[in-house]
Amino acid sequence: MKVTESFRISWRAITGHKLRSGLTTLGIIIGVGSVIVFMVLGGAFEQNIAQEIEEGNDEPGMWVHTQQADSGFGDSPFVRAKFFTDSDVAALESIDTVEFVAPSARFPVAQLTHDGHQRTGGFAVEATTPERLEGDVVEGDTFAAEDEIVLSKEATDLVEGGLSVGDEVEISFDGAGSGTFTVVGIVEPTSTGGNSLVPTAGYVSLSNYETTIETPDGNQERAYRDLIVAAESSEVLDQAQQDTLEYLRSDSDAAQLKEDEHVLKAQTVDDAIDQVGDIVDQLTVFIGGIAGISLVVGSIGIANIMIVSVTERTRDIGVMKAVGARKRDVIQLFLVESVILGAIGALLGVLVGLGFGYLGVSVIGWPMVLPTDWILIAVFIGVTVGVLSGLYPAWRGAKVDPIEALRHE
Amino acid sequence: MTSTGSVVESVEAGNATVSLGNVRRTYYLGEPVHALDGVSLDLPDGSFTAVMGPSGSGKSTLMNMVGCLDTPDEGTVHVEGRNVTALSGSERAQLRGTELGFIFQQFNLMPRLTAAENVTLPLVFNDAVDVDRRERAETLLSRVGLGDRLDHAPPELSGGQRQRVAIARALVNEPSLVLADEPTGNLDTGTGAEIMDIFAELHAAGRTILMVTHERHIAEHAERIVHLVDGQIQEIEQLDSGAHTGGSQ
Repeated sequence: MKVTESFRISWRAITGHKLRSGLTTLGIIIGVGSVIVFMVLGGAFEQNIAQEIEEGNDEPGMWVHTQQADSGFGDSPFVRAKFFTDSDVAALESIDTVEFVAPSARFPVAQLTHDGHQRTGGFAVEATTPERLEGDVVEGDTFAAEDEIVLSKEATDLVEGGLSVGDEVEISFDGAGSGTFTVVGIVEPTSTGGNSLVPTAGYVSLSNYETTIETPDGNQERAYRDLIVAAESSEVLDQAQQDTLEYLRSDSDAAQLKEDEHVLKAQTVDDAIDQVGDIVDQLTVFIGGIAGISLVVGSIGIANIMIVSVTERTRDIGVMKAVGARKRDVIQLFLVESVILGAIGALLGVLVGLGFGYLGVSVIGWPMVLPTDWILIAVFIGVTVGVLSGLYPAWRGAKVDPIEALRHE
Repeated sequence: MTSTGSVVESVEAGNATVSLGNVRRTYYLGEPVHALDGVSLDLPDGSFTAVMGPSGSGKSTLMNMVGCLDTPDEGTVHVEGRNVTALSGSERAQLRGTELGFIFQQFNLMPRLTAAENVTLPLVFNDAVDVDRRERAETLLSRVGLGDRLDHAPPELSGGQRQRVAIARALVNEPSLVLADEPTGNLDTGTGAEIMDIFAELHAAGRTILMVTHERHIAEHAERIVHLVDGQIQEIEQLDSGAHTGGSQ
């Protein structure tokens, strides 16, 4: 029996029971649809984060920091203690592939005062080097002296009356004294401030930074929680990352100052995106798996309806066998029928899933990502579900005794 | 029974479409029921045989044997020279599809297929035949007087029309043997007579026909009547069928 023939006859049986076939398919539509929705949302979320990370980092570089040793699941927590010394910064800067090293030092701000107007907390000032300044200076110049500050553009309206180049501001730092700074420039930041949740209002010279640590050599040196290491070019980024890690893990002060369960990391933007992607993937697959349970329910629906169908058509099976249908012809007919149900369910499920997924990401404002691999997986699963749930009913149909079947009412 | 024996037999059965040799078939329904108890019968090419007998006499079992739907516990069945007992289930299915045409009391049409599709259903399971199905269906349905009902579904047809579709279906593979099980059982007398006229035409055209019936006047359309009682042939009654076939022509 030709497959096209079985498609024709099976299709006739499916359309002969429109409501029943529709409801059966609905089980698969919901199953596949919900899986696809979660895959679209997960993919969009991942893409969105990746875009944000990339937008803030167009320079080839890496983020050197300390993390707890791998716990085995997900991401290990960051270590807030400061282990990277000025000697480390100098040593890293001497590596050929490294363009510059910018230590990161952030001060949470308690209060900012200008001309009698005050603003309390909720932002930070970063002590850094002019090279590290992430953004374009749109007005004035970058800082040169210890009492100069470059404000980020958003920070110019922090206080009533606004702030502009030439203004003097008094800043009290959270538990780290206070100082008076002259605004020398306005910068449009290209970074959202690394991994910090608190926005960066301005940048001052690193010489304001006073946290020190005793190095293994017995000197007092400034110590930093994390460093930005810029590579000479994108081409040597991988080499720079290798060199940096090699130094950090062997000769660095940080290696000796850190505790045993800490791991020194040098993470490039791609690493960060990969890492976020891994976490989101795990979550997405987990939630998608839960959604996939409805697929199992859907396949039971198909199996159920196919068994009913075989019982109902016992006499037809008898007739077909009398006019020359072999066992495998009968199996083929019922399998094709359940595969059609499964495949239609999967295809419609993909469309419904993409539709709702698109609606979802549009509302949230994430980029739409087509989960191509999951679409293929979903269709494959739909067909597989059709085959699996049709096997037993088809086998039951095939072993129908034509003599009994022809007597069947 | 040796295989050599069956070969010899099949050669001997050359001029008979069907040959039953001492067929026994026993069902166990609490106690053994000898549905067929040593039946030997030849259906020569072009013959028209009716089988009569009370219920439980083994008529249906005999039909199932000849129709390759059942196999004997003992004895041999040859259809078109082939030893049915030696065939596998799917080989018997193919034999049914190519050499036999079934006509049932209940018509047994596929309710979701049109008349034309029902007629050509056996071709669906027979990949070897490559004909224009629509044309074949049209020819056959016209022959049974339903040339204008090709696309009607069975529920839209009367009982007599459905049986005509079933007859057309039984002929679609140009079978060696047409099997009819109470073909007029569900029809009124007038319609039944029309159906029997078609059988007479088939016989006149040289078809081999085996028909089970419990109605004497229907059985009299045949050349001979096999009387079955308790699974055994009690009598083979030869009829002067010329008057019947001649009368309908």
